[in-house]
This record gives sequence, C-alpha cells and structure tokens, in this order.
Amino acid sequence: MKLLVVEDDTTTSTYIARGLREEGHAVDVVADGRDGLVQATTGQYDVLILDRMLPELDGLTLLKTLRGAGNATPVLLLTAMGAVEDRIDGLNAGADDYLVKPFAFGELSARVNALARRPQALEQETTLRAGDLTMDLISRRVTRAGQEIDLLPREFALLEHLLRRKGRVQTRTMLLEAVWDISFDPMTNVVETHISRLRAKVDRPFNVELIQTVRGAGYRIDA
Amino acid sequence: MKARLAGLWRSMPLRLALLLVLLFTIVSLLSLAASYAVTQRSFEQAIRADLAQDMAGFRAAPGASALARLVEAESRETDPNRLIISYIGPNGRIYGNGAIARDNEGYHIVSIGAARAQYDGVYLTLTDTLYGGLLTIARSRAEITALREVFVNILLVSLLPTVLIALSGGLILALRSKRHVEVIRATLDRLTAGELAARVSPGPRWSDDLLRIGEAVNQMARAQETSVAALRQVSLDIAHDLKTPIQRVSVHLDDLDRAEATGEARAEPLARARAELDGIAAIFQSLLQLAQVEQGDARAHFTPVDLTALCRTMIELYEPAAGEQGKRLICTLPETPAHVTGDRALLGQMIANLIENALRHSGNAEAVDVSLKQAAGKVTLSVADGGPGIPAADRDKVLQRLYRLDRSRGTPGHGLGLALVDGVVKLHGARLELIDNAPGLHVVVTFDS
Repeated sequence: MKLLVVEDDTTTSTYIARGLREEGHAVDVVADGRDGLVQATTGQYDVLILDRMLPELDGLTLLKTLRGAGNATPVLLLTAMGAVEDRIDGLNAGADDYLVKPFAFGELSARVNALARRPQALEQETTLRAGDLTMDLISRRVTRAGQEIDLLPREFALLEHLLRRKGRVQTRTMLLEAVWDISFDPMTNVVETHISRLRAKVDRPFNVELIQTVRGAGYRIDA
Repeated sequence: MKARLAGLWRSMPLRLALLLVLLFTIVSLLSLAASYAVTQRSFEQAIRADLAQDMAGFRAAPGASALARLVEAESRETDPNRLIISYIGPNGRIYGNGAIARDNEGYHIVSIGAARAQYDGVYLTLTDTLYGGLLTIARSRAEITALREVFVNILLVSLLPTVLIALSGGLILALRSKRHVEVIRATLDRLTAGELAARVSPGPRWSDDLLRIGEAVNQMARAQETSVAALRQVSLDIAHDLKTPIQRVSVHLDDLDRAEATGEARAEPLARARAELDGIAAIFQSLLQLAQVEQGDARAHFTPVDLTALCRTMIELYEPAAGEQGKRLICTLPETPAHVTGDRALLGQMIANLIENALRHSGNAEAVDVSLKQAAGKVTLSVADGGPGIPAADRDKVLQRLYRLDRSRGTPGHGLGLALVDGVVKLHGARLELIDNAPGLHVVVTFDS
C-alpha cells in the first residue's frame, strides 16, 4: 500500500514510517499541514495518517479541505486528546478512524490495514469459513470438523468479527468498539478473558488453533 | 475635582434625592397655586358682597340730598385707602372721600381730601345711578395683594429648607455609598491582582443591596479560592503520582543499559518500562477526560440512553474477567428499558468504573451485586461489594482526584475511577451516594428518568 504520514514530531513520524515500511508499505512523510495537503491531493494514497496538531495548517482543517475537495482517501487521525468530544469532532470532520497518543505500533498498523480494506467488509455473505470452521450467519450455527459449537450471542459476534476480517489483526480496542460499542479502555483485561472463553469452545477441542494472538497488537484468524 | 463631582453626579442616591426634590417642589407649587387661587376668589367674592351691602345701605336714603349727607357722613370716617365712596349729585357736585369718574379707559379715582393726592392701588368698584346722581363705591384690593405676599412667604419658608435638607441628604448618602462601593471595588482589585484571600467587610450602616453585592463578591472569591486550592492540590498530586512511575521508568532504562553491557536478558526491563509508561499515559488520559467531563461540554449532545441495555452490556463484558478472579457478578435488571438522558459512552464508563472498583476492592468476598431499578420517575443504579468498604470519614475524599486509601496503594488503579464516576454523575444531574454495605461498599446512583 502507499501511505502518507503527516506528522510534525520527527521521532513519531520516523517510528511510524519505519514500522510501516517493514510491513511492506511505501510511506511518504511530510512535517506540516500545508505540505500535507499538497502531497495528499497530488499523490495517490491508500491511507492518510494525519496528526491533529500540525504547524501551518492544523489536521482538522486539512481534513475538511480534503473532503471538501472530494478526496475520499481513508484517513486515520492521530491525536493527543482522547475525549469523546474530540473523537466526535474528528469523525465529523471526515476522519475514518481515530487513534489517541500514545499508541502502540501494532494498534496503528491494525487500524491502517482495516481502513485500507474497509469496502470489502461490507460484502454480503451468508457463510463464513476458516479452515474446518463454518459459521452460518442465517441459522446462526457454528460447526467445526462437523461438530456443532454452542456459542453465547456475544461470543458469536466476536467470532464473526474476526472471521469477516480474516488475515487482519484486530486489536483489543478495535474489538471493544466493534463488538461492545465501547470507546474507552477498561483497566481490566476484559477482551483477553472473552477471547480465552471463545478459544475454549472453538480451539481447545481441536488440534489447530484458529484464533492467533499477535504479540503487542491483538488477535487474528488466518486466512 | 471636576471628575469627582461628575462621579458624584452620576451616583444613584444623589440622583434620587434630586428627583425627589424636583417632584416635591412641583407638587408644593401646584398645591400652593391652587389654594392661592381659591383664597383669592373667596376674598374677591367677600369684597363684592360688602360692596353690594354698602350700595343697599345707600339706596335706603330717601332722596338725593339725604344720600349726599349720608355719603359725606360715611366717608368722613372712612380711610380712602380702604374704601372710597363717591356720589356725583344731579347738580354735578361731588360728595365723598374721593371722586370717581368713569370713561372709556375705566375708573379714575381722584382724591378730594386735604392731601389732594392721587390714590394708588387697585380697587373693586360698584356703580349705581341714584336720584339722578352717580354713586360709586370702591373697596381696596390691598388685602388680596397682601395675600399673594403671604403665599410667596409660605412657599419660601416651607420649600427652601426641604430642598436644602433633601439635597444635602442626597449628597451625604451619595458620598457614603460611594465609599461603600469603593470598598467593594478595592476588594475586586485585590482579587484581580491575585490576592485570593481578599474579602469585602461590610460596615454596620451598609444598605441592603450593597450588602448583597458584597456577599456575592465574597462568595465568588471563596469559590475561586477553593478551586485554585483544588487545582494546586491536583497539580501537586499529579506531580507526585507521576514522579514515582517516571522514576521507575528511569530505573528500568538503567537496568536495560546494564543488561546491554553484561549480556543479560533485556525483555524484562523493557516490558516493565513499557508498562510504567502505559500507566502514566492512562493517568493523563483519565485526568484529561475528567477535566472535560467537569467542563460539561458533553451535555450538548445528550441522547436517550437505555441503562438496562447498557448495564447488561457492561456486566456481560466484565463477567468472564470477574470469573477469572474468582468473583461473581450478580445482576438484577428490570425487564423493560430504563431510559435516562445522557452520554452513552460516559455512562458506560461510569458503570465500568463502578464494576472494576467493586471487583478490585471486594477482598475475599465473592459476590458483586449490580442492580438497576426503575420507580416513580427515578432510575437507580446500585453496585455493592462485600469487601472492606470505605471508612465514613474517607467517603468524600475517595471522590477526589488521585485520592487512594492507604491500604489500596498496592492494588492497581490510580485513584481516578470514582472521581470520574462523580464527574459523570454530576454531568447528568444525578445523585451519588456511598453507603456502608456492612461489610463492603454500596454505591447508589439515582437518575431522574
């Protein structure tokens, strides 16, 4: 993928760019808002990673200008402010996702990947598959190697979310947002315990582990 | 001096006094003028009645010569300044104490006495033709003229002192209230200059409205002082609460340095440093959020939130984690939705904080009760644990930022959970109670639905 990082703090931008390049992406970095706007409108990018506070032109104005000009490139907004209000402001300005500093690189990478492939997630499917596991979305039944697995509604939703995004890492906060509609970060390891309960039903009776833990990032079901 | 006078002129008491003086003067003038007019008219009527009476007396004379004698006799004893009787007989002879003749210009009164002087003054006259002659009686209006002087004197005597007293009273009041206002202004100046302990100290003779303003200023100053003190306390707390983890990060980095040199494993100090940094970020995040909640901006987009569904989600979210810690979440929720107006994300976090708090501080007790009740327009959320609870003396303090009971220092958390709960409760106009669950803590939040 071709990515543009607009971030004035060189430590952060170098860190982001290096990580994304290691994942095989082509990354351009600019350090102020005006250059960012010029670069974003002239180059063809798959995802923009935009800091909210920028010299010359702040991130929100840049974003609004970009959207006003009809540019629909997915934007991940980085910010030091994490309150619900700021999130709403950012999303209203046209951001597709929102990440609060300080963040782990795994979180950023997972969200960038999610943004780039967003349209595919909207496809209508009635059956989801991974290895020998099958999820029927209409009868809401899950079977693995011919064996029926009994899941609670939330476990079903969690598994469905991971299956729909096969091959992509889902972080704890992404899962909280998508499955529970929660935008804050609980202090207790609630997602871990839900995943381990799901694993107890989906993976433990079988030899192959479907739900992978990606260290420092989150969870993934391999394609 | 000019400026001072201008200042006084603009002062309220003086203006009021002047206005009252003006009003009083107008009313006095009007009433005096009216009574003068009435008195003057009745005086004139009395004089005219006297004239008619005089005329009737003279008419009683049997003939011209008799009348002439009567006029002579009468007029001899009469002061012409008061009354002039004049009879011009049929033969043209003039009897009386004056000659009164009438032509186009009016009456002419001529003295025919020894002094031969012209009579000044104003007279009221009555003329009649008797026995071929002309009888004219004129009575002086001097009394009426004197009456006017009396009235002017009354006016001066009654009005002048009143005006003077009112004006000086107004001036004194104006000066006094200026002094009192000056006291309030000086206090405000001191407050503005940062002297937050400054207060208005009202004197015993302050007017009620100034007293109220002074009290309001003091109230504002007290609130300001409290919030500045709170801010200072929070800054100190933050400095303290963050210095410790930052110190630890520094230690872990040193360890890392040493591991580098000696070839020991570096994963552990790295992980520890990262965990400390996460903790620091979490404290900052919570403090920022708390500040925003306390600002109240979220009220702008309040929507109806179903607390039943939200509680169910939160309990469902925490249930496995609770199980892993050997605890049980026991929930009692109504069958129907319980709507309150609010911010779903903040309400969710409030419930999460209460559940986390209960799980963390419930000691050996196994059960944490979460219940929601809807009755009489109220929605009541309650979270109760069977742990050691919070001593009554500390219950207010645990709602403060970064406050932690000494025995909790070893447990995770940073003393902001209940502060945020308190902030969210206040934002929603709800009521928060911390009750002794004997043993344990029972938190009750009551919303108006």
